[in-house]
Amino acid sequence: MNNMDTIENREKLKTAQINNALGVFILFFGAVVIFAMLFADTFVQQMTDLVAGLVLCGIGGGMVLKSRKTIKALKMND
Amino acid sequence: MLAGIDYFIVIAYIVGILLLGYYFKRFVSSSEDYFLGGKSLPFWAIGMSIVVSDIGAMDFVGVSGQAYRYGISVGNFDWIGSVPAMLLAAFIFIPYFWKGGMYTIPEYLGKRYNSSVRTIASLTWIIFFAVDLGVLFWASAVLLNVLMGWPVWVSILITATVVGFYTYFGGITAVVMTDVVQLVIMFVGGLTLVFLALHAVGGWEELVDKISNMGPEYRQHFDLIQPSETKTPFPWTGILFGLTFVMANAYMIGNQAIVQRCLTAKNEWHAKASMIFGSALKMLIPILVLFPGLMAIIIHPGLEDGDRSLPMMIKSTLPPGLIGLMFSAFFAGLMSSVDSLLNSTATLFTKDIYEPYIKKGADDKHYLKVGKITTLVLLIIGILTSPISSKFPGIYVAIQTFLSYFQGPMFAILLLGIFWKRTTQWGGLSGLIIGIAFAIYLNTFKAQFFTIEDPFLYVSWWSFLVGFIVTVMVSFFTSPYSEDRLEGLVYKVTGGKNNNKQ
Repeated sequence: MNNMDTIENREKLKTAQINNALGVFILFFGAVVIFAMLFADTFVQQMTDLVAGLVLCGIGGGMVLKSRKTIKALKMND
Repeated sequence: MLAGIDYFIVIAYIVGILLLGYYFKRFVSSSEDYFLGGKSLPFWAIGMSIVVSDIGAMDFVGVSGQAYRYGISVGNFDWIGSVPAMLLAAFIFIPYFWKGGMYTIPEYLGKRYNSSVRTIASLTWIIFFAVDLGVLFWASAVLLNVLMGWPVWVSILITATVVGFYTYFGGITAVVMTDVVQLVIMFVGGLTLVFLALHAVGGWEELVDKISNMGPEYRQHFDLIQPSETKTPFPWTGILFGLTFVMANAYMIGNQAIVQRCLTAKNEWHAKASMIFGSALKMLIPILVLFPGLMAIIIHPGLEDGDRSLPMMIKSTLPPGLIGLMFSAFFAGLMSSVDSLLNSTATLFTKDIYEPYIKKGADDKHYLKVGKITTLVLLIIGILTSPISSKFPGIYVAIQTFLSYFQGPMFAILLLGIFWKRTTQWGGLSGLIIGIAFAIYLNTFKAQFFTIEDPFLYVSWWSFLVGFIVTVMVSFFTSPYSEDRLEGLVYKVTGGKNNNKQ
């Protein structure tokens, strides 16, 4: 039973570490798209960059937060 | 040409993918990790990966181009041509492959029929993937040359280095997870493009009205079902029999690159759910790739090459930043197609050819090493053979068409193998060989049999039918395996022991 738990925890940790890496990646791109607002000519273009950037930051940030919480919980259990 | 910020985004994407790939190296310590991601991946990542590997950059551009030329009927490939097949795969086929601990589809065929069927099926896929790799490298490089202005050889080397790096180190985990990033970027960029373009043309009703009044050649642009005598490549008869009944099922159930992803799932539930989730995402794909092609008819009328509609829409509609993001999605699409071929071919070679025929019973580290070396060798073959495809302009279409020919017979023996316990090993072997031979015959003499120029949908239907009939007929005259032998391989066959208990 303990062995099963260890395997399950290891899988959860792996998934959380992968999600964390993907989240950082997407978050970075969201930030770059928001930064690109500075290069947009019109108000509509600026708002488009802002909304798209915020969506990416939301997805990436959400993944990072959730995975870090899981990693912390798993490490505390150990 | 792209603005500075867009170039920065594309370069950052390439560097980021390299780093991600290297990071995934830590999750690979056995051949199961390398080929099946340690059987630990979640359904949502696999579902996203299935969709992304299905819609590479070439299709991205091609579907928009076909929507520009023929209208929404091309959407059939992602709707009726995918969703029912994905659901069938999820509920019937994938559970058998996953529970059986398979690495490859030919491995299932080998267990269900015999080792000859396994070897023929595996070699057919390996040859197809290896040739396709060179063609894909060249086609990708040409696309990057047009979009980014990079020289063809630079494009080939960049694509090969990036894809080779993360596939070599990270195996299928890296392949699946880089696809997740791509899908997120593709959806955000694509939906923004559709929203802005729709706004520019004055809304959906205005779009329909304007295109319908552009002339007789645009009258059928909003007909999802085209008559059988249509001049487009999508007559309803071909869509129903060739695409829905055969090609879609063969692709979602019999294609190693697709099914291998489901086999990486952490349990049977996740394996099934990945296909169902993938089918839900698939229904949204035409919105991203088809609508821009339609809107380009109004915004960029009279394009000689419809395939230029999507790149032109991106450049004319999206703001700086998102243009870079969409081009990154293009680049990711190219990489996704190449990494799928690399990893799947390495799996097929290692598991179906090397392990049974070259070195049986070696330790797992050895097979992991073979898988990695095969990936490198394939990469070099792809780079070296890519210029050959430039000498044959129609080779990309020819290779894709070839896929539809052998998929029909292969699907026929998969279908009978799983649903009909009376199917015999000799039935399967004859059905596969005669079905493929018949497809080659039909293709060689296509002018005598078909009126449309590229009858690949009809060829796949007829080759499926011949493969099916031959398998059934030969099975009636040969001895089937016992129920014990078929346990876990055939639908609702639980073996003699269990039957006795009842």
